[in-house]
Amino acid sequence: MPTEGQKKLLEELKNSLTRALPEGRITSGDYARTGCHLEVRLSDVGMRRVAAVMKDKRFHLETITAVDFPGSFELIYLYSTYYDDICRVIAHIQILKDASPHTVSAIYPGAIWLEREIYDFFGIRFLDHPDLRRILNPDNADYFPLLKTFGKTKLTEEIDDILC
Amino acid sequence: MLNIKTIDDASINERVYQLNLGPQHPSTHGVLHLLLKLDGEVVIAADPIVGYSHRGHEKMAENRIWEQFLPNTSRIDYLSGLIYNQGYCMAVEKLCGIEVPERAEYIRVITSELNRISSHLLGIMAFVMDIGAFTPFLYGWDDREHVLDLLERVTGSRLTYCYNRFGGVRNDIDQEFCDGTRRFIDRLRGRFKDYHNLITENIIFIKRTRGVGIITEETALEFGVTGPSLRGSGVNYDVRKNEPYSVYPEFDFEIPVRKEGDVMARYQVRMAEMEQSMNIIEQALDNLPEGPVRSHVPRFIDPPAGDIYFAFESARGAVGYYIVSDGTRVPYRIKVRTPSFSNLFVLTRVLPGNFIADAIATLGSIDVVVPEIDR
Amino acid sequence: MNITQLPFIKEIYGFLGHDLTATVTGILIILVFVPLNSAFLVWVERKVAGHIQLRPGPMEVGPHGILQTLIDAVKLMSKEMITPKLADKFLFWLAPIIIIIPAIVCFVVIPFSPLMQVREMNVGILLIFSFSSITVLSILMGGWASNNKYALIGAVRAVAQNVAYEIPLLLSTMSIIIMTNSFKMSEITAAQSPVWFIVYQPVAAIIFFISTTAETNRAPFDLVEAESELVSGFHTEYTGMRFALFFLAEYTNMFIAASMGAVLFFGGWHGPFFPGLIWFVVKVYILIFVIIWVRWTFPRLRFDQLMNFAWKFMIPVALINLMITAIVLKVL
Repeated sequence: MPTEGQKKLLEELKNSLTRALPEGRITSGDYARTGCHLEVRLSDVGMRRVAAVMKDKRFHLETITAVDFPGSFELIYLYSTYYDDICRVIAHIQILKDASPHTVSAIYPGAIWLEREIYDFFGIRFLDHPDLRRILNPDNADYFPLLKTFGKTKLTEEIDDILC
Repeated sequence: MLNIKTIDDASINERVYQLNLGPQHPSTHGVLHLLLKLDGEVVIAADPIVGYSHRGHEKMAENRIWEQFLPNTSRIDYLSGLIYNQGYCMAVEKLCGIEVPERAEYIRVITSELNRISSHLLGIMAFVMDIGAFTPFLYGWDDREHVLDLLERVTGSRLTYCYNRFGGVRNDIDQEFCDGTRRFIDRLRGRFKDYHNLITENIIFIKRTRGVGIITEETALEFGVTGPSLRGSGVNYDVRKNEPYSVYPEFDFEIPVRKEGDVMARYQVRMAEMEQSMNIIEQALDNLPEGPVRSHVPRFIDPPAGDIYFAFESARGAVGYYIVSDGTRVPYRIKVRTPSFSNLFVLTRVLPGNFIADAIATLGSIDVVVPEIDR
Repeated sequence: MNITQLPFIKEIYGFLGHDLTATVTGILIILVFVPLNSAFLVWVERKVAGHIQLRPGPMEVGPHGILQTLIDAVKLMSKEMITPKLADKFLFWLAPIIIIIPAIVCFVVIPFSPLMQVREMNVGILLIFSFSSITVLSILMGGWASNNKYALIGAVRAVAQNVAYEIPLLLSTMSIIIMTNSFKMSEITAAQSPVWFIVYQPVAAIIFFISTTAETNRAPFDLVEAESELVSGFHTEYTGMRFALFFLAEYTNMFIAASMGAVLFFGGWHGPFFPGLIWFVVKVYILIFVIIWVRWTFPRLRFDQLMNFAWKFMIPVALINLMITAIVLKVL
């Protein structure tokens, strides 16, 4: 059950984010189902504005990740707070396959490594990133492993064959 | 942000030399390569190079059915295997809406807290060994053997567990496990006196750790630090209290917090956390309900499409599973947010200005497990 | 039957004369004793470390593992002696030799018993100090010649540490020397007839003990070879028998330091009932046991803390002790 403090915080956040992102969709999340209190959906730019609002409200960047959908990437930014009641904000940002999103490392230095990991796994280059190089795969690798086009991906029919 | 590629001060440039700490080194825990730029004995810049134990767990997740990813989870952080196991099962259960019987929840809590104790014992004692005291390392491992024996009776493994299943745990615990756990807790409480005498009140240890490697609250916020490294800097954040899951709300335990943010504070937080874990285990054993240990779940689950983020607390900090499901039997994307990834990166901000000896002490006190960073 | 009347020995004895034969025999005995002593001490250290850590230590080879060091020596002899390609070859080869020879020479003046001292020298204590200072030279040579950053850091730390701790070592020894007015080891031992000097000079004893622990690079002052920081310090690049020589030298230095302590503070070969030799050896090994015990109990000091401790604490205390001793001796 959301407490008074949580509801107030969520209201404030919703207002600040709506002000900062007129073009985005900001909805309340179903915490019991998805683990996030507030969902922000944007296309392409806006991650730095979200980050600025969140930093202002003393949230920390839990993680950044990316998902490879057919036709686009979806960057996921997860913000959460240390203080008082838990409040988690997730930002889904859709970008095109060859787009270069902006980095949020000027606001959250911890994003430097997180964005390096996304570059390493997906090949997404971040603009103005201070140190964009591979982090987990070998430096001279010429592949981006987490793309759906890389390597063998089990189709569900194959799985069903094995399981029966 | 410190960029080690551009140290421009000409006068300092001539004296600066580069030292590789690792990847083969007696005291980097795991295969960690720390590239240090030093001026004499003072660290100018630090650049951790990771990826030596990258096994591709997140790609493996896309090639396995949901149940087949369970063994992977305990190998991501091999010291908190049961906790990661539990977290994955809980995330998928939340996604599918599976109910877990109460006895299973209690058993999960007991085994996870035992896992937390064994992880802290290893982490603290390895850190103390880096400072130079070899003997407590062996005392801690002696205690850890008891935990591993207890868990082996129940789960079948000593290190990389696969005990949790969707809907509960694999098998029930017996009375001997409960008695053995109580005996172990009594024994460990007695040993804490020895540890405090040998380590905490040792003047050389105090001088090595007081005021060294301070992580400020602001730095922690910017880098997303969690776990004992954060609680040593004065922030009262523990996922078990802030975002309760499983049956943790039913237990009465505290979260130890220290204000100083130095190596000694983190050490004290870990020692106090072990005592709190022992409290939780005792309460859980006292109130253990009867019942089944696994609810009826189809052999191969079919989660609905959607995404979920589930956070829980491992020995090192807040872990998160971000799971994207497309409605099939194979996960679409699983991202594991590991605490050591952020905790290690903080060192680029904390180490410059310290001596090499302090760098080793700070690295040990952050308690990183490199496979967790590399996945 | 006099031993000097035996056929072969008679020739040598006649040729060299009494003094020289005694010296040569003494040196031969020392050359046999030093490796045996080191081998024994390695085993003692491993057993003591094991028991402090609640485990038995070496148990396999020989009864309670007593032959372990012998087998380790055989293993080390069988290893390849690698010289790094860019190392300074002459210095690299010279360093282990220079570390062991002065250590052996120091044995010449140690009085094992009233009669057993290879050579009686007027400046016995000075000889031991000057020769044990040569160790620093060897460490620096080894660290520099290895062409390895870890080794260099270790060597540089060793020089600073040894130089810093020489001074309190000498000052505390001076307090004893001005009490006996002699540098001769045998005279200092003889002067402790009713009462051992530790009763008169407890502060000097503590300073001496700490300084020798630092001089022999033992924990808690073993930053020089801090395993968790510098892999192995100045002997990182040494393999095989060269490494064995460094190891041998460390335990030999420990023995010399402990015998200095026994002679200066614990009465040397004095003791009831048993002959002097047995008392001397017992005292030395008890002191070595204490040094080993300290190693496995305490963590390591950080380097600047170590230097601060030497310059800002030990030297003033040693100086004050020396002054008080001098004043008391003048007054009494």
